[in-house]
Amino acid sequence: MTGVKSPRMNRRRLITALLLALPAYAFLSRIRPTRHDDIVEVDGWILKRSDLA
Amino acid sequence: MIFADMTAYRASGHMARVAIVGGGVAGITIARKLAGRGIPCVLFEAGGEEVTEESQDFYRGSTVGDQYFDLDVSRLRYLGGSSNHWAGWCRVLDTYDFEPKSWIPNSGWPIRRADIEPFLDETRAILGLREFVATRPLTDHFGHMDLIKSDAVRFGTKYRDELDTSRSIAVVLNTSVLELTGNGRAVTGAKLFSAGAPAGDFSAPYFVVATGGLENSRLLLWSNAQSNGAVVPNAKALGRYWMEHPMYWSGNAYITNRDALEFDHEGEVFMIPTPAAMAERETCNFHIQLETMPYHGTKRMIAELACYAPSFTEWVSSAVDMHLQCSARVHIDWEQPPVESNHVALSATERDAAGVPRIELHWKKGELDRRTLVESMRLFGEDLARRDIGRVQISDWVLNGEDWPTDMELAGNHHMGGTRMGTDPSTSVVDADCRVHGMENLYVAGSSIFSTAGQCTPTTTITALSLRLADHLTRTVAA
Repeated sequence: MTGVKSPRMNRRRLITALLLALPAYAFLSRIRPTRHDDIVEVDGWILKRSDLA
Repeated sequence: MIFADMTAYRASGHMARVAIVGGGVAGITIARKLAGRGIPCVLFEAGGEEVTEESQDFYRGSTVGDQYFDLDVSRLRYLGGSSNHWAGWCRVLDTYDFEPKSWIPNSGWPIRRADIEPFLDETRAILGLREFVATRPLTDHFGHMDLIKSDAVRFGTKYRDELDTSRSIAVVLNTSVLELTGNGRAVTGAKLFSAGAPAGDFSAPYFVVATGGLENSRLLLWSNAQSNGAVVPNAKALGRYWMEHPMYWSGNAYITNRDALEFDHEGEVFMIPTPAAMAERETCNFHIQLETMPYHGTKRMIAELACYAPSFTEWVSSAVDMHLQCSARVHIDWEQPPVESNHVALSATERDAAGVPRIELHWKKGELDRRTLVESMRLFGEDLARRDIGRVQISDWVLNGEDWPTDMELAGNHHMGGTRMGTDPSTSVVDADCRVHGMENLYVAGSSIFSTAGQCTPTTTITALSLRLADHLTRTVAA
């Protein structure tokens, strides 16, 4: 059965692709270490200002 | 020696120098220490050797104010007391906890951490603990806290055989003290209730009340009411300054650098603020419990997204038959400040099967609780962002000051205060030796003597303070 993709695996791959395309996930992936420590509070999130750039 | 009731005990002819009321962590620890010094003592345990509905019924009561646990569920009334359902988490109050703070009214103890340190090795031996490790710095304002998740010692089980074979200790089961009698300077006796019926009076040179963080207040309040104030002559603070450790899921975290955090074997991280951080934000003490989920791949992506967009994630989760929550939850567990209005009172209408008024607990969180919760989350979030360890989202209900949630953990089942330690009889009940102000032979043990609550679980400190009291009693009784 090696190499046979189950419907569940295909669905997961699709979901993963959708997730990566989401603006919300794009925001999370934008969080990177920076030297800036200017802190802002947005909708309860405590962020570095650079996170919003 | 273990006796089933007072009839059996009286037939033994045992003569006690110290009467200990209550067979939980504090009572058993004191009895063992006294016996080790050759001082005979009697230990009255209201329950038997197993939990029963009949015994637990004596603990029923009511709460006025914030939602709290049922009082007959929050503690256990049989040999070993509430150690029988204790989780086993251990840590001792820190040096900082004993010191007064200008922004916390009624803070500060009459003793310092150094006063209990000589008893910590013995405490660790009793609880089966390794050495505590010093706090490791994490950020400018936080450090990793050493919380020992031990195999909880059930005192009634662990020490049962030792108690039974001891010639100095007499454990009398199914026997409670209904009230103490006194003359305003000393306790003169105790009225007993044994095997379901009144069992006469009992006297001993010294009495130690060790019935738990709620019952200590109840017994002394009722004794005082029956004796016109002759048991606790300075009773202004009796039952008052009662405290808990409120705890809530207060937000989520998106962790970007897991390597910076010290996870324990359950995937949790415990962090405490520095004294300077608490002073800067004028908060009570607290700890952060970061609870993470060990997800990978798509699951991890969904869980991370749940931190940011919970509603949308719920829909995504259901689409893939996975019910995932945010990958890291932030819980805050904090020290409730000692407030006079939080108190144990006697019910005017409800009595137990022995005729003693049940407890009416008045408990409400206040402005300093709110401040501690919000500022602790902000401080933690700012530090995690600055160090690029992660990002924190504070829950809406925390930010908006909404009603306290009723579907969360609420508190730790830690009953503290009510007979707090201090030098001023108007704001405390016992002195630095745990002796009731103005009474020659009456002592109190357990978390009811805590002046302040600190942020950590109380059992380790209860054990250390009990050993210290037993040490004091040894010298007092011998004198």
